[in-house]
Amino acid sequence: ARSKPHFFNFRAGSPSALRVLAAVLEGRATVNPKKGCQVDLVFTTDHYNPEVGEEHLGKCSARVFFRNQKPRPAINVTCTRLIEKNKRQEEDYLLYKHMKQLKTPLDVTSIPDSHGHIDPSLKPIWDLAFLGSSYVMWEKTTQFLHYYMAQISSVNQWKTNDDTIDFDYTVLLHEFSTQEIIPCRIHLGWYPGKPLKVKYHCQELQTPEEASGTEEGSAVAPTELNNF
Amino acid sequence: MPGAPGGGPGPGPSPVDRWTLVVFSFIMATALGQMNFTGDQVLRVLAKNEKQLSVLRDLDGLKPQKVDFWRSPAKPSLPVDMRVPFSELKDIKAYLESHGLAYSIMIKDIQVLLDKEREAMAKSRRLERSTSSFSYSSYHTLEEIYNWMDNFVTEYSDIVSKIQIGHSFENRSILVLKFSTGGSQRRAIWIDTGIHSREWITHATGIWTAKKIVSDYGKDRTLTNILNAMDIFMEIVTNPDGFAFTHSMNRLWRKNKSTRPGMFCIGVDLNRNWKSGFGGNGSNNNPCSETYRGPSPQSEPEVAAIVNFITTHGNVKALISIHSYSQMLMYPYGHSLEPVPNQEELYQLAKDAVKALYEVHGIEYIYGSISATLYVASGITVDWAYDSGIKYAFTFELRDTGRYGFLLPASQIVPTAQETWLALRTIMEHTLQHPY
Repeated sequence: ARSKPHFFNFRAGSPSALRVLAAVLEGRATVNPKKGCQVDLVFTTDHYNPEVGEEHLGKCSARVFFRNQKPRPAINVTCTRLIEKNKRQEEDYLLYKHMKQLKTPLDVTSIPDSHGHIDPSLKPIWDLAFLGSSYVMWEKTTQFLHYYMAQISSVNQWKTNDDTIDFDYTVLLHEFSTQEIIPCRIHLGWYPGKPLKVKYHCQELQTPEEASGTEEGSAVAPTELNNF
Repeated sequence: MPGAPGGGPGPGPSPVDRWTLVVFSFIMATALGQMNFTGDQVLRVLAKNEKQLSVLRDLDGLKPQKVDFWRSPAKPSLPVDMRVPFSELKDIKAYLESHGLAYSIMIKDIQVLLDKEREAMAKSRRLERSTSSFSYSSYHTLEEIYNWMDNFVTEYSDIVSKIQIGHSFENRSILVLKFSTGGSQRRAIWIDTGIHSREWITHATGIWTAKKIVSDYGKDRTLTNILNAMDIFMEIVTNPDGFAFTHSMNRLWRKNKSTRPGMFCIGVDLNRNWKSGFGGNGSNNNPCSETYRGPSPQSEPEVAAIVNFITTHGNVKALISIHSYSQMLMYPYGHSLEPVPNQEELYQLAKDAVKALYEVHGIEYIYGSISATLYVASGITVDWAYDSGIKYAFTFELRDTGRYGFLLPASQIVPTAQETWLALRTIMEHTLQHPY
């Protein structure tokens, strides 16, 4: 269930409308040894940033398919009662304006710091990084491996090229079943309203699965994905 | 390249005298271990293949030495960490770039980090003269915690004493607090926190809980009844070497710091090193893995110390091992799906404990056996405890469920400890009322 918000967040492409899993209401899994594993779920989501009032705002239903234990599950998800599109676009634009005003180079190492603290001025960076990491985490998720974003370990580059925010950072992902910490170098480009562009390279600590990666993942590549 | 601190005493001395002073200071500083790392960086390099890896190994062979590997080139799938002195940075980075090696700067200036840490520690050392000025809503260093323990034991010496049960791999003391109102070798409850060093919320919860126990004795009826009949042992820093490392170099370090000749990687997962189900699924025999079980059961001094203590004591009736994160309360087994004989009782007790926890701040925990709730894991603490005859063996995974994970904000320490206390008390009360 946790992989759905990753996929959903990526597809929505909006740092101000990030969601997290709240509760699973119904679930059913069907395993076909030859083909793969399909999971049908109904769940609620909370707004990622707890300061934003409403609880359990969104209700979603989803179908997730893992083809033969391969990563990048195919996901079909629909949600109701989320932030209204106009409001979301407005908030995204405010966020974007704020980010453009950040002084570069950003003198920042870890976000959050060792004590779990994120300076309010750096929160937008975290949100944007989380958005990019959502894509990476979705691509790497299998029925046995699932990920959380533990920390931004370094901000390598933060600039705006012709209005797009160009963000190059290293993130530490925590894979739960192996307990490994996976460093990933992510390079993303964001402009409010436009699809997110993501390019990344992760340090693999297990022997690479045969089909982890692009074409042979379980999902057909979504059309809005642009690598640069 | 180490700069010599402590310059001359101002205008006056001749150039020869000043130079002597500088050299003398340098010698003294080096002798006192105060090397200067200003501008030195730690780079993490991602090698994509063997060829790139050998490019890195070539750096190691350079004389004079230009880099200092903290994590040596081992396999292409493993990151390589190296400290690069300030004077070599430009050359080394150019070298990496020319060979197409991607790197990131893990530490921008080692000296800054060391200075900050030293400053923070000195600051809190000045403040912490009693446990009432110790901040229970902050995270602390190993030294601060050990210092707090001494104050704590002094202040509450009628109930609390400190026992050293062994030494860690890097020779740090392994300490246990004993809460007792008398008697001799009474039935006891064992609680440990921090077996995985990056789980900082657990040590913080342990500290708060220790204070809660002494504060509530004589005031809270349940706790008073428990302590009047039983002893409580609490090991707060179960992995002191790992914990020190999370402060100095790697906040996300999990294992201990043991090494063996010929091994590229450091550390054993202390929660895979116990004798029950050792070597099974859910543990790894790759030393570089986060769940490396170690060469043999109890090979690690941190684990052996607990085994010896509990076995020798002979009267421990409940064992609670505290981890983070996931918000779960679980009982054995981890190594298999086979239910334990008193599974029904443990299920009900977990259910009650979780309900008590929920009532404090509305935080939801799930519960069940480890293998069914979390994942299959072999050689774990609670399986060993159960197989050694400790019927009430539980493990907690504290807050949260992944939003902050291991980096739980300090503002959540007290709420987490408050709710966890209710669950702990439920388990302890049940143990009291069901002697065996």
